[in-house]
Amino acid sequence: MSDGAVTARGGEVRPPHRFGRELSPRVLGVAMNLPTLLTLTLVLAYPIYYAGYLSMHKVSLVQLRTGVFPFVGFDNYAKVLDDPLFLLSLGNTLLFTAFTVFCEVVLAVAIAILINQQDVWTSRITRFLILLPYAVPPIANGLIWSFIYNGKLGFLNRLLYSVGAIDGPIDWSGNADTALYAVAVPYIWRTLPFAILLVHAALQGINKELFEAASVDGAGAWYRFRHITLPLIMPVIVVLLVLRTSFAVAVFDEVLAITQGGPGDATWVASWYSYKKGFAPPFDIGAGAASAFLLALLVATLALIYIKLLYRRVD
Amino acid sequence: MRKTPLQKLLLHFANLLVIGFILLPMSAVVIGSLLAEKNLAGDTRAIIPGDITFDNFRVIISRGEQRGQVFEQATYLPDNVKKIYHALANSVVISVSVTFLTLIFASLSAYTIVKLGLRWVAWLLSVNVFARFVPIIVLMIPLYVVFRKMGLLNSMWGVIIALTGFLLPYGILILVPYFASIPRELDESARIDGCTRFTAFLRITLPLSTPALASYGAIVFIIAWNDLLIPLILNNRAEFMTLPVVIASLVGDVFVVFNLMMAICLIALTPSVLLVLLLRKFVVEGLTAGGVKG
Repeated sequence: MSDGAVTARGGEVRPPHRFGRELSPRVLGVAMNLPTLLTLTLVLAYPIYYAGYLSMHKVSLVQLRTGVFPFVGFDNYAKVLDDPLFLLSLGNTLLFTAFTVFCEVVLAVAIAILINQQDVWTSRITRFLILLPYAVPPIANGLIWSFIYNGKLGFLNRLLYSVGAIDGPIDWSGNADTALYAVAVPYIWRTLPFAILLVHAALQGINKELFEAASVDGAGAWYRFRHITLPLIMPVIVVLLVLRTSFAVAVFDEVLAITQGGPGDATWVASWYSYKKGFAPPFDIGAGAASAFLLALLVATLALIYIKLLYRRVD
Repeated sequence: MRKTPLQKLLLHFANLLVIGFILLPMSAVVIGSLLAEKNLAGDTRAIIPGDITFDNFRVIISRGEQRGQVFEQATYLPDNVKKIYHALANSVVISVSVTFLTLIFASLSAYTIVKLGLRWVAWLLSVNVFARFVPIIVLMIPLYVVFRKMGLLNSMWGVIIALTGFLLPYGILILVPYFASIPRELDESARIDGCTRFTAFLRITLPLSTPALASYGAIVFIIAWNDLLIPLILNNRAEFMTLPVVIASLVGDVFVVFNLMMAICLIALTPSVLLVLLLRKFVVEGLTAGGVKG
């Protein structure tokens, strides 16, 4: 109360905006973090621990009803690792991730440089539209592309037919050889804006004088890109690789919308496998949790590999 | 570094390609929602076969009452098509609540990091940002079991709490740097004028941080609006479905009426697309500051 004002009446009066007593920083700090702490404990900390617990126990519909989860050790992991479908899903996930991440990094750098051209007026239009795909709900995105791909009704065949590229209809997402890429293109479409923005922000941070000095010295566009731009945006590319990889490994919505894992099991990916294990008959939640845990392990491994390989080069 | 006319032409062409790629699905959803399936099936080669019709929207908006010409003979209409108002309301309630809750919780925590110097909060939230790199399905399986025990399945609260928790950690990436950029003197002079730390937070820090709050809020709203997996797993009763869940439920339907689905997709994507175009500057700043998920 030491900083309270004193009025003519002689009593201590609180300034008008003041409510409550001044709390000590320590108490205030805890009080202000209480909502965050409670939410994070409930939604992140406890579930991460509990995922490990579930993966070591037999949990299915019967056990959910009785509330008793018998301990089974590593049986769930053994069951999942023995399942050829899980290994296929992992393989598909890795292929999907490698393809999308590679395309996104290359396209992001190219398009970021493109929209960074101040003296090309069409670049301004691209810059305005670039965020649009980011806002589209992934499930709607998948469905829209599934419509585009459709052999009978879709627009891709119509467009290709109009320009004379094909003679008959092609079922793009129904073919086991192309289905995974048919899922990858919409995924790239939706997630590319974010990658472009990151690279674009890094480009804007580069001192223009560097380019001018190089130009004066007679360096060509490729040389300037290779020896000025690329080294300076390398840290962002590392961040991009880690972020995009960890999210691409978790792809789900587009798979659900376009192929539901099909045709056959050509587009079963890891998230789809865990979802199907846990939430479709026979509701084997223990195995679902075990497969999801293995997926998390894969993400961690990939992230570590990137950081080891790339950060050393950047430094 | 002046460009030759040929270089400029090539750059224009490249822009045209990118714009075409961005707009391809957008035009497909708009055109698709305005056509009748029998016209599409009748002519598989024309770009726009048959006449434009608003019957797809009419049947959705009237909850299947008014069938129009296109659906006149349709004997079957997926049940969830009739629940679009419900889904729209659920999506709005969930996304708006999640946006407000994350803004409040995250700014409270960010303030304690910046002005009270609570290192452990910064550490805790960074750890949680990393925890979010874990695929969401890893968290959803245990969350389903936990929420089942707590009776939070098939409720709005379950989804709101889960989304709030998942999006909260990103707050520090956007809010902490911004709060830190507000001069300390402003805070101190408010304290001399008799504000408590908490009122100084409410009256000085928050009003001065509207750009950062707008960035974070817009991104949270879009992610919450678009999210599928969380409401899909936590809520399976029709009255708690959000728009993405309704769309997902139609995917499995045997009688896929693509044009009807395109109309629903258009309804689902319009709010978030409009928001992004309106708040473009803030979303860009938030995404580049936060490196939030894409």
